[in-house]
Amino acid sequence: MMLREDRSPRRYEAALKVRGAARFTAEIPVASMLHAALVLSPLPSGRVGRIDAGEALALPGIVRVLTHAEMPRIDRPGVLIPLQGPDVHHAGQPVALVAATTPAAARRGAASVEVAYERRPAILNLADGEPFAPKTAGRTATDSRRGDPETALRQAEVAIGRRYTTATNNHHPMEPQCVTAQWDGERLTVLTTTQAVFAHRLAIAECFGLRPEDVRIVSHYLGGGFGAKGGAWFPHLVMAIAAARVLGRPLRLELTREQMFTLTGRRQETVQDLKLGATKDGRLTAIVHESLAPTSMFGEYADALATVTRVLHACPNVATRQRLARVNAPQPNPARAPGEGPGSFALESALDELAYELDLDPLELRLRNIAAHDQHVDLPWSSNGLRECYRAGAASFGWARRPMRPGSLREGHQAIGIGMAAACYPAYRMASEAAVGIGADGRVKVRCGTQDMGSGTYTVLAQLAAEALGMSYAEVDVELGDSLLPEGPYSGGSMATASFTPAVETAARDLRGRLLALASADAASPLAGIAPERMSIADGMIRSGNRSEPVSELVARRAPQGLEARAGAAPEARPDFSAFGFGAVFAEVRVDSDLGEVRVSRLTAAYAAGRILNPLLARSQFVGGLIWGVGMALHEATVMDPHLGRVVGTSLADYLIPVHADMPAFDIHMVEEDEPRLGSGGVKGIGMLGTVGTAAAIANAVFHATGRRVRDLPIRVEHLLRPD
Amino acid sequence: MTDSSRQRVALALAINGRRHRVTIEPSTTLLDLLRDELGLFGTKKGCDMGACGACTVLVDGRRINACLALAVMQEGRDVQTIEGLAEGEALHPLQQAFVEHDALQCGYCTPGQIMSALGLIGEGRATDAAGIAEQMSGNLCRCGAHPNIVAAIAAYAGA
Repeated sequence: MMLREDRSPRRYEAALKVRGAARFTAEIPVASMLHAALVLSPLPSGRVGRIDAGEALALPGIVRVLTHAEMPRIDRPGVLIPLQGPDVHHAGQPVALVAATTPAAARRGAASVEVAYERRPAILNLADGEPFAPKTAGRTATDSRRGDPETALRQAEVAIGRRYTTATNNHHPMEPQCVTAQWDGERLTVLTTTQAVFAHRLAIAECFGLRPEDVRIVSHYLGGGFGAKGGAWFPHLVMAIAAARVLGRPLRLELTREQMFTLTGRRQETVQDLKLGATKDGRLTAIVHESLAPTSMFGEYADALATVTRVLHACPNVATRQRLARVNAPQPNPARAPGEGPGSFALESALDELAYELDLDPLELRLRNIAAHDQHVDLPWSSNGLRECYRAGAASFGWARRPMRPGSLREGHQAIGIGMAAACYPAYRMASEAAVGIGADGRVKVRCGTQDMGSGTYTVLAQLAAEALGMSYAEVDVELGDSLLPEGPYSGGSMATASFTPAVETAARDLRGRLLALASADAASPLAGIAPERMSIADGMIRSGNRSEPVSELVARRAPQGLEARAGAAPEARPDFSAFGFGAVFAEVRVDSDLGEVRVSRLTAAYAAGRILNPLLARSQFVGGLIWGVGMALHEATVMDPHLGRVVGTSLADYLIPVHADMPAFDIHMVEEDEPRLGSGGVKGIGMLGTVGTAAAIANAVFHATGRRVRDLPIRVEHLLRPD
Repeated sequence: MTDSSRQRVALALAINGRRHRVTIEPSTTLLDLLRDELGLFGTKKGCDMGACGACTVLVDGRRINACLALAVMQEGRDVQTIEGLAEGEALHPLQQAFVEHDALQCGYCTPGQIMSALGLIGEGRATDAAGIAEQMSGNLCRCGAHPNIVAAIAAYAGA
């Protein structure tokens, strides 16, 4: 698809951001505000005893040291809000909060607080925990079953069974989490880094017994999120709000990078057993996908590891089973492509292994198993562009020239490998409201209480309104990130855009209808007496035949206070179709034969994800998702000390993420789909899709380069240098 | 830490061509001086440990991590931050290149990326895309804007 200029206006807030003028949460001053610093438990399990704050309180600038003894009780089951009791469940858990007049004073105070602990036994490793079935896996059922996979496996002409593991990852948005909480009696204003202004408003109101309308949440600019600024941030957000109430003064808590390893969630590590059965000509007859992952001692969270397994490939006999085990570690939570990322690593690696068992081209194997409908829920697809993704991606990548035999391609001391994988991600949606208005100055305003993590929300809100109204993008102003606005969706699950799009389009069309009716009924308008359906709006002008009037003049004359239309949209209760975005990823890697160093040199990906609102920004989203896949494959691992239960290496120098020098050449294709049945205006969501399948494509390419099958992420030099 | 180490000291330096005289605690970093004392929030705090590059500024034309530099050591120096680039409404051409190439998503690493790019261009190292990528690798980005960032820098530098 070509990047047509008119469909790809530049990022709405880009000029502000390149000037450094976008004000992030920690940059908004609040009068007479105090600063918080946290005292953290070094033990993974225990009980807080005596806390000696004497030395800290004697330091200049220290206002108060708060512990569980002084904090108000908050009833929130399943969530560990710190400073609610003396029990310690993971290393790094806050046990005291120091409030001071400056951040530096607060940090000095926190370093001076002495805490005595009673040490308790801890479970520090996944293998030592007791497996149990979680209530759900993400937004899906924990287990699933269709057909008779065990019998099908026994009878399969070809069968494989392999174990795959993935590492704990941390999200690490570049902007640390921050909250400034300000109480005014029973009213509360919270400036914070949140992916969910409305969900957090409701949950905070419940925690403090307030009416939701008395809580205001503001998040105008968000320096990334990826899951770390939703539910994962909530317990510490609430802790800071509670502390501000006790202190009787506004309080700011800004996390340190080190604390972002323990206090803002994590992608859980996984152990996944994949069994595949197939006919000799490569039809899948059985899939069994069983997994184990850790959760915390206090909460229960399971990534939806089997979503992709259940739907991506056609197979009559499928069983999936997920178990959790409790460990003394921070609470896991969704991270970009939660479940679908690590789960697809296992499935798509296993498919590659099956292809080699069958001596069948890995793409051909997948082409033989395209699912004609969603067999998991037994519903037709709203659309399934997977075949076109395979075709477009393979053609652009040059897949047809790939020799089957591993170790066939070399260049100097580099072994070159080529691998691929398929991807899918559910098209989720939630209820949303939005308002579109126009002022006497002719400027359009879109108001929607969602937020922009960097995903392009400001831009597409402006585009949607401009397009539906017939105004130009440059004439639209956007307000978001404030719970005083119409209720918008949270930014997660790739569902924000699909949720607000129909609300914005409905509101804008309603406003357009009112403008045309106004012109028709206004004797002073050149369009007086013309039926609205014979008028059009383009470039800010209402036209009919050779008569026209600028929208701004009509509004100034007839509605000097401006006009606004408001609309809501909600997902279908029981859709009679299944909606997923699909994709195919092709990777080329170069492995240094002497050093075992892996470099991804090319990534080609084709995606069929419904209607694409802005191809330029969509490409940026897909590339971002793919880079997360590169990180999962080659770099990222939060290492826990198996004896102390602490994170080893708590800086961005220790936790490796892909950097500029790690970038492959990207080649992105978007297969646009017409999706009239989707109530989202055809939008399916794109933020997660790029991270699905990518790690498997890279691991499969590493196998093709070296003949070495690495089943444990991240792939490291030692995997490739180890003797066979 | 003794109380004397927190006695405030006077400092004079130029920021974006403007002279500033401040009194600060000697432990104040250049980053905290910019953000907390002077309200210049364009320079970002991503890690406060010198590992992410979000706080990159130019001091006498050289790029440094402002979080690892003590403010008092910048006496008499000339500090350039992101706020000094645009001329009124007109963006600096490198800022404009970032907009055109969609070289940002959340925008939090962006000021550091731009200042770092200006530094390496000044050092004469922006010769080709691969070299730019290597030289920019101290500036982390988590959204995955990397290829667009390098494209924007290469376009501006004529590499």
